[in-house]
Amino acid sequence: LSPVAKLCVCDLLVAQCDVNCCCDPDCSAEDFSLFTTCSVPIVTGDSRLCSQKAALYSLDVEANPPERIFKLIDQVNPSVFCIHATNYKEALSFRSPEMPTSENFDQLLERFGSAAFSAEPDSWGENRDALNPSDANETYRYEYGVPIQTEDGFLRLPSPVISSWCSDANPAGFLVNQATKCTRSVSVEKCGSVQAVSMLFYTNSSILAVNITIQSIVLQSLNGTQTSLGDSDVLRLPTALGELCINIVLGVSYHITYTDTGEITAAAVSFVLGAMNKAALSIQQSFEISFTQMNTKPVPLSGNPGYVVGLPVRAGFLPHGYPFLVENFLAALVLNTNKYNQLTILQSTSNQDCLAAQGPRTPVLFGYNMVSGCKLRITAAMKCQPLSQTLLDLLKGQSFPEYVASFGNSQAQDVLDWVPITHLRISEQRICNTFQSSCQIPVSLEIEVKWTKYGSLVNPQARIVNVTATITTTTLEQLPSGRERTIPVTSSVVFTDVSAPAEPGYKAWPTINVKLPFDFFFPFV
Amino acid sequence: NSSYQLSSVPLQILIYVNGIYYIFYFLVTLAMIVYKSQVFSYPDDFLAPDLVLLFIMAILEVLRLHWGSKGNLTEEEAPLGLSLVITVGSVILSVYFLVWQTYVLKADVIINAVLLFTYGLESVLKVMAIAAFVS
Repeated sequence: LSPVAKLCVCDLLVAQCDVNCCCDPDCSAEDFSLFTTCSVPIVTGDSRLCSQKAALYSLDVEANPPERIFKLIDQVNPSVFCIHATNYKEALSFRSPEMPTSENFDQLLERFGSAAFSAEPDSWGENRDALNPSDANETYRYEYGVPIQTEDGFLRLPSPVISSWCSDANPAGFLVNQATKCTRSVSVEKCGSVQAVSMLFYTNSSILAVNITIQSIVLQSLNGTQTSLGDSDVLRLPTALGELCINIVLGVSYHITYTDTGEITAAAVSFVLGAMNKAALSIQQSFEISFTQMNTKPVPLSGNPGYVVGLPVRAGFLPHGYPFLVENFLAALVLNTNKYNQLTILQSTSNQDCLAAQGPRTPVLFGYNMVSGCKLRITAAMKCQPLSQTLLDLLKGQSFPEYVASFGNSQAQDVLDWVPITHLRISEQRICNTFQSSCQIPVSLEIEVKWTKYGSLVNPQARIVNVTATITTTTLEQLPSGRERTIPVTSSVVFTDVSAPAEPGYKAWPTINVKLPFDFFFPFV
Repeated sequence: NSSYQLSSVPLQILIYVNGIYYIFYFLVTLAMIVYKSQVFSYPDDFLAPDLVLLFIMAILEVLRLHWGSKGNLTEEEAPLGLSLVITVGSVILSVYFLVWQTYVLKADVIINAVLLFTYGLESVLKVMAIAAFVS
């Protein structure tokens, strides 16, 4: 049977009869008698051949019951340009690919192993350049996201996978700043043998051509106090000391310096070493990697150039004693890179006690209106001045900045790109207060950030134009001794969009530009 | 001296007709190779030999017809013999275009068959002419 007779494109159901498919071998004569037409009337090979076999399927509806007619004929192409013969195998059909064996594997890899290859067999050296491996002596150039290579594999940043247990298989990508926390199971008996808690594990893999230097070591004691070590050259390995295991790695922070051509020039690592006791079965490790371009100061941008919603508002101070002369453009703003020292507001605590909320503060994130507060218990014994100062420190924080960056990528040298914070003081006057006490205590801080859309209409960038910090004070009434009062203290941040609304613009009126040709008055001029 | 003409008139006519026919053959084969390269999958590895052989065949044909005509008109066997030898090469090339080309269309079959028939007839006439000159 020629292949044409065996080919049936409408036979889709296996071992079942397809309806109206006259070439289906699973159909019986009774099935054929129920068909109305043949969906595939003819099956041929390539019609450009001069003579080819064709299978014809049709239904004879005259007969009772209707039956299928199958004919195998020779179809002739009458054109004079029909293909009489070919000496090229792949001319009329798809070539089945070669099965790789051990003999032709290398040759197949050379032909098909690159990113692109030609469909024609043995094309004349078009893709030969693409197959050449790049020079091994070239310096290593990284692109964003590419895993950083070390001598034995890739630089790994342990991270939690699915559960919170550490997995050591997460490669660190170039220019991808990561910070992960995961749990590792260690016990005091095995503290010397688990590699991942020893400093050596993180310093002995050298990034190709660059040695990893130890930048700093911080020792953390069992109750959480941290002390920074002076000599950071000594490798401290985990040792068992009585019931404790000391010098285990609790935190690793890599700082990689790169050039703008994508080469890594330096790598430094900072450790937090701690101790664990017999009762603990696991420790939590935190890992971080950050990338700094050579000869720049590491400043995290909050947008480029406009602020991105959710990133912290950048702020800073003008160093004291710097005269703000017009020609003194070297008056760079001192930027606090630690985000907890930037524009921050009070963070509400669970027990809502103002005096206990003096620790952590929330950074102000662009676009996020925030309200926080606490309750202050005033007793008769409290003095006004120290209370007022405490509340002011509480509301504003230890280092309230003076300038806020107007763009997310404002540099410290461009003083004009920074917006000064305007301070207002409002005092809540109580009506019918005959006895005006001169003691005013601040009870609320409201920071209003006015921003506008800047730039093109298609891609507007957020730009801060004005920041106002308003402190509302109220009078502190003298309480009879023994009584106490609770007053709420609030702080809030509000972002207001003050973009100018779009103005309609109209085209200029068309002018009629009529000029007579210069020789219009010919005979007379 | 009997001005007995030994040159074969049929051979000369045939050589002349062959020349005209070959020009037609060359142009048609070249046009069809261009057509095939556009319509079918014709990689460079297969296209180049076909084109090269066609041009070689054209050069051989020019030489063959020139010497055949010269030998017949000057009644010398040497050019005629050389022409016969070149005819063998031309026959092989014609068979290539008839059977071993990458794509053999029906038109190729027709024109190559005519060419081979012409070569055969010419060869017979040349042999007869050589026999007449020699004797």
